[in-house]
Amino acid sequence: MKSQIQVLIFCSAIWIGELTPAQPNLSLDLGLGFYQPTLTGFDENESVPFPAGGILNRNLLLNWGIYYEFFSNARVGYTSFTSIEFGKLGLINSAESVFRRTIRYRLFPLETFFRWRPKIELNFTLSPIWGRGRITVDTSPGDKAEDWNFLLNSFGSSDPMDEMGTTDAMLVDWLGYAGMIGFRFYFSSRIGLDAKMGFMNNYYNNENWRIQTVKVTGPAMTITKIPIFSIKVIYGLK
Amino acid sequence: MSSLLFGQNGEVEDIHPCDDPLLKIAQLEGIKSIPIKDMYRFKKLMKSCEEQGGGKQIEQIIYRDWERDFRRAKLMDSWTSTFSICVFLVAIYYFAGLVLATT
Repeated sequence: MKSQIQVLIFCSAIWIGELTPAQPNLSLDLGLGFYQPTLTGFDENESVPFPAGGILNRNLLLNWGIYYEFFSNARVGYTSFTSIEFGKLGLINSAESVFRRTIRYRLFPLETFFRWRPKIELNFTLSPIWGRGRITVDTSPGDKAEDWNFLLNSFGSSDPMDEMGTTDAMLVDWLGYAGMIGFRFYFSSRIGLDAKMGFMNNYYNNENWRIQTVKVTGPAMTITKIPIFSIKVIYGLK
Repeated sequence: MSSLLFGQNGEVEDIHPCDDPLLKIAQLEGIKSIPIKDMYRFKKLMKSCEEQGGGKQIEQIIYRDWERDFRRAKLMDSWTSTFSICVFLVAIYYFAGLVLATT
């Protein structure tokens, strides 16, 4: 009788264990990405001397994301890789204008995974990309249009702006897709280190930039079919 | 006198750290079932339970948590294996193309 009770307790423990969630159902991640785009519009611009390209403003991407395990061995989420550049430009009327450029790759990944070892996970990600590029420049209040035209002409436009509003930023959106294979090591049941490698394919067109409601030509950038690597820390919220 | 005035029980019940409900939750449902706001208290409880002779119980909690995670994610379910193979092949195709294009 005593052994039967023990068997019952053991089986109940396993049954309860089966019902409870195992992997982190909701997790946050923070990390870095590395890639190598060719930003010809900035690096080979003959009219405007943009800040010199380096690892920080060309190859490094800041990465954060959130994932939810919606199915056994599968997660969906949102993750963003952002390339940031800022510096000073010499335009016509402004002696030194502050220039900021961000390229944001917004991914909506579907990730499947399995545990190869108790602490090691392998994962496979396929994701659509909604990319956005943004350029802002601080210009002289009275000469905004002239300063912006100088910058835009350097990318290939011909004086597209007649007048400017108070918020002046040029934007572009594009679509793409990415595929990645990852390796994750869990330090504890909540914390892990995730390393991924894969590729991104972005359908970027430099003719699609817009500034306010005017369509303009933006900088030429080669961001199609580029390899990408990422390393991030995962924290399981629940 | 104060317990009469404020209607409270003045005697504080001393619970052994190993018998704390938080450790019971961790034992039955896993460490991830513990809310983040209670994680600090949970860590402290684990430490004091270990110090008061509950080392085996703590070891068991951690071991079962790893086991539960591993058991649940060891094998892929349903469509997930097909999806993984597709992603793997796409990545191989892409990197093979990259290598061939650069050589």
